[in-house]
Amino acid sequence: MIYLDHHATTPCDPRVVEAMLPWFTERFGNAGSVEHAMGREAAEAVEAARAEVAALIGAAPSEIIFTSGATESNNLAILGAARFAKGLGDERRRVITLATEHHAVLDPVAALESEGFEPVVLPVQADGLLDPAILAEAMRGPTLLVSIMAVNNEIGVVQDLAGLGRMVKAAGAAFHVDAAQASGRIPFNVSEIPADLVSLSAHKMYGPKGIGALYLRRRPRMRIAPLVAGGGQERGLRSGTIPVPLIVAFGEAARLARAEGPVESLRLRAQAVRLLGLLRAEIPTLQLNGHADRRVSGNLNLTFPEGTAAAILAAAPDLCLSSSSACTSGPDGAVGPSHVLTALGLSADAAQRSLRIGLGRFTSASDIETAAASLAAAARRAAAAARAAAA
Amino acid sequence: MPKMTFVERDGTRREVDAPLGLSVLEVAHKHGIDLEGACEGSLACSTCHVVIDPEWFDKLNAPSEDEEDMLDLAFGLEETSRLGCQIVIDETLDGLVVKLPAGTRNAQG
Repeated sequence: MIYLDHHATTPCDPRVVEAMLPWFTERFGNAGSVEHAMGREAAEAVEAARAEVAALIGAAPSEIIFTSGATESNNLAILGAARFAKGLGDERRRVITLATEHHAVLDPVAALESEGFEPVVLPVQADGLLDPAILAEAMRGPTLLVSIMAVNNEIGVVQDLAGLGRMVKAAGAAFHVDAAQASGRIPFNVSEIPADLVSLSAHKMYGPKGIGALYLRRRPRMRIAPLVAGGGQERGLRSGTIPVPLIVAFGEAARLARAEGPVESLRLRAQAVRLLGLLRAEIPTLQLNGHADRRVSGNLNLTFPEGTAAAILAAAPDLCLSSSSACTSGPDGAVGPSHVLTALGLSADAAQRSLRIGLGRFTSASDIETAAASLAAAARRAAAAARAAAA
Repeated sequence: MPKMTFVERDGTRREVDAPLGLSVLEVAHKHGIDLEGACEGSLACSTCHVVIDPEWFDKLNAPSEDEEDMLDLAFGLEETSRLGCQIVIDETLDGLVVKLPAGTRNAQG
């Protein structure tokens, strides 16, 4: 079995698992129990992890709020920023995002309409990048918040966050970045990207599922309303007993990403080029979706000339990869055409012939060779079946 | 001597003497204004939260990180919220107007 779906999730690095295990058993204290040694020990471990997560994006530890993952971070950022501003008497109502965002951004933005806000969803160019002129035009109305993802989860495209962010700040709006697919995979530093809010996820960077973070800029101070009321953990912004083992794991994953990310990224880029070359040798009309260069290392999104993605996947049971985002796969196994690919201008039919490939930390050179042969053979079988069905 | 005005929760305006060098919290206490100040000005609570009249807000020194941290926890924060203990009366603040917020929350728990 070869796993090529690292945009859906990544395996925990064994070093991450090793770091987290003691915090489930012998070191199980509640980080909120400041009156005894086990509680204080847990709190110190949480703060060390917070510093590692902060360092990964060039932030201060006090700018990091732990959440259950990027979906919660996106909701907290978008709903929290809008509600807080409205509560202050701010009269701006426009909230802008992109058609290619993850549903964890699109849905809270859309939900704000029922609270009197004005959601605006911008189109992207055929290569997946946002045309800055379209953003400028959209921000001519009084704009409260702009949310743009760093790395697309299907096509891997990397937006120009520094440039777009400067435009957003010049317009006086708050800037949120969903960096779930970016952290640990591309250089991302809040001293260069003027984001007020950044969503992070551990399980996209070889940490466990169930833990993420929201970066909240301190200077100038970004304020948001909490979504969860309770014990006042995480400076009152995210009540609930904090999951010490998961946070320790996230910290270790962040440390590894900072130390090894740049080298890993170079290797993944070379592997993706190799895989694309092998596939194109077999299927010359294979189409690469998304900008060819401004994409995250290890991502390929490919449209096959014949045969559906579902048929190709069925013919290659030894490969784990997806036809689109795992989050848009239906409970009955049915997968609709990707909203990301159709936003790029692909027809529903072409979107249904497309596969997302995500290479990762433990993808070997021989995996690439095997996967290319397997995928090419599966594509030939799916194409033959499609031709037979049409005849 | 400089003077300043507190706008109380029911809208009553009280103009009082504001001796140089005293904080807005200390001025309030001197005149029996209902501003709590649970931590007595040590930046450990947010109970001396006041809302500065917008015309005066930009004349104040910018808040420190520690004051911003406490304001994060203040109840009913507004655009011109500050902590009364961090605003010290000088000549330039003669005539300062501040409003008492609708309620307070003691961040000391």
